Amino acid sequence: MKITTVISILLIFNLVAILLSLGAGSSGYDHIFKIISGSADDNVRTIVFEFRLPAMLLAMIVGASLSASGCAMQALFRNPLAEPYILGVASGASVGAALAVTLKIGEIHTRIAFAFFFALFTAYLVYLIGTSSRFRDQTYAILLAGVAIASFFSGVTSILIYFSSQSMHEVVFWIMGSFSNPAWEKVYISLPIAIAGIAYLLITSWNLNALLLGDEHAVAVGLNVERYRKSLIAVVALLTSATVAVSGVIGFVGIIVPHTMRLLVGEEHQKLLPSTILLSTAFMPLIGLISRISTSGNLPVGAITAMLGGPFFLYLLLRRSV
Amino acid sequence: MKLKVENIIVKIGSRDVLKNVTFEVKEGELVALLGPNGSGKSTMLRTIFGVLRPVKGVVMLDGREIESVEAAAKSFGYLPQDTPLTNLRVLDVVLLGRTPYMSGLRRPDREDYRVARRALKEVGLKDFETRSLSELSGGERQKVMLARVFAQQPKIMLLDEPTAHLDISAQIEIMEIIRRKVDEGKAAIVAIHDINLASSFATQILMIKDGKIAYAGRAEEVITEENIRDVFDADVIVRRYGRGVYIVPKLKPIGGKKRVHVICGGGSGQKILYALAEAGFRVSAGVLNALDSDWEVATELGEIVDEPPFSQVSNSAHEKNLEMVRESDAVILANLSVGWGNFRNLLAAKRAAELGKLIVIDETPFNQRNFAGEEAEEIYREALKRAAVVTKAEEEVINAIRKLLGR
Repeated sequence: MKITTVISILLIFNLVAILLSLGAGSSGYDHIFKIISGSADDNVRTIVFEFRLPAMLLAMIVGASLSASGCAMQALFRNPLAEPYILGVASGASVGAALAVTLKIGEIHTRIAFAFFFALFTAYLVYLIGTSSRFRDQTYAILLAGVAIASFFSGVTSILIYFSSQSMHEVVFWIMGSFSNPAWEKVYISLPIAIAGIAYLLITSWNLNALLLGDEHAVAVGLNVERYRKSLIAVVALLTSATVAVSGVIGFVGIIVPHTMRLLVGEEHQKLLPSTILLSTAFMPLIGLISRISTSGNLPVGAITAMLGGPFFLYLLLRRSV
Repeated sequence: MKLKVENIIVKIGSRDVLKNVTFEVKEGELVALLGPNGSGKSTMLRTIFGVLRPVKGVVMLDGREIESVEAAAKSFGYLPQDTPLTNLRVLDVVLLGRTPYMSGLRRPDREDYRVARRALKEVGLKDFETRSLSELSGGERQKVMLARVFAQQPKIMLLDEPTAHLDISAQIEIMEIIRRKVDEGKAAIVAIHDINLASSFATQILMIKDGKIAYAGRAEEVITEENIRDVFDADVIVRRYGRGVYIVPKLKPIGGKKRVHVICGGGSGQKILYALAEAGFRVSAGVLNALDSDWEVATELGEIVDEPPFSQVSNSAHEKNLEMVRESDAVILANLSVGWGNFRNLLAAKRAAELGKLIVIDETPFNQRNFAGEEAEEIYREALKRAAVVTKAEEEVINAIRKLLGR
């Protein structure tokens, strides 16, 4: 498919997602037009501006950050199953959040800060171990270090949950991921990081193509692979840490979205990365919408993406075997 | 353009992988690096490109050291050993070769597309632009990688086993493509395992052993049985053809000091003589007319009884032939044609049969190759009857001798 066609379709898809996210629900779609024409009452305004709009923006930021990071990680590790949480940020953030809840320190902002810095710290730890000079294939070592540290930290999280019996529900629900309030602050925190990080990935997307050939070939065409890998990992760590801190652990987006686009536009990152980002900014708000309207409360977003992720994985598996 | 590698020492870990290596490469040269696994061929290429830094010595291109990977990628077209497997489209892969020439956002411009497309044309894959790399054959994939190297417009190509794992036609095609590029005024340093391929294409061969250049020069100078034994620890036979040389493996000798006499002519003995010599037998042949094709082989490989061209077997030659039959441990009657000129060779064969050491290669029915009448027919039948071993194919000859000599 031509890339311009794909982008156009994705933009329409985004528009639909925006309308649905802001409109769907008890008050009907006409309130959107009322707001635009200025005739909406305060009640409707509050619902849209205080709840639906920030939740939708948050979903877009999270989607774009995770899917762009996933795309980059799949190129860096030359592995279609690589995902943004490979650096251990999900389990790191969980420990941070669980710690904040268990120790009962502060409110929501403390929790976000704890999750964010724990996530960053974990990624740094994984990188440090993975790039220790004793390993010949450092990319591979980073992958294994990520798995090792993630499993250790999820153990720690489980123990913390066990001891925080009173507020257990709170921690568990946080881990499962959501776009709930106070959404505006979360947007303020994550938006600048998302813009900077995604911009970096888009600007250097040519290098991602080179990485697909393998480290030696990338060096052969004049890419300083070591330096680029370092900054790539730093950027992805920042992006995903900020995402996890504000939304909890939302899995599989970083795999589902890039792979879907890969089937449509191919591997080349000048096409793949922008279209991946555009698909996720439509996809994630729709998942948020499902979470919002499916029950009286909010279904955990991470659970919904995981339920979609499983079958998608099977689909990839079956596609490969033929 | 001149590449100078001067006295370099390269360490990996605590081990010296290259020890005081010095050589020069100029445009139009295709240098083959020959050496066993782990001798330092890849390290040499990586050091020249600048992935590895020598602890001592310098690599200079036109009198200057190259500082960064980015700069190196413009002068050197480095092709690592393992071919990547990705779903990138062929043209996108080749465009990556333009990376060192892109600045800022690194987006290919019209010039980059032009160079990349020309590179694809040079390797014969003009129509492959939109195919995915992973769906190509090994040979095609390697050609795409060569196009990537060409797109870099390098002065010197550093190719690490570009023909590994490829079938013979792809190997030749790849080497032809490389040579064509070199003839345009570039140079290439190619690490390669196939000695015959190297000697067919290289203008210069560097034989590397334990991180040192053991021998350097043109193929016919350095590809010798002694050098190959020294560097590879392998026993081969080096043969010449035209201006070139090629090697064939030397089979474990089973011949010892045993001697085999071959009665042949008109090309019927060539393969047999070679097979015997390779198996380590001392060989002789007779009676042959000089300049006969068997005669040429026999003079190269061993003793011979001969007559001038187109003349009959004389008494003295026949006597000498009989003497050789007596002294040999086995006598082979090749699938030769018999006329009045070499009629007496049949008598010599019959004598061998009587001594119990005749092996007959009875491939073509005798009446189709007999031009000496009924008498010859009878002698041949006699020889056949009393022969120790009769075989239908000359490929069987070594086995036949084994059978005869009881091994």
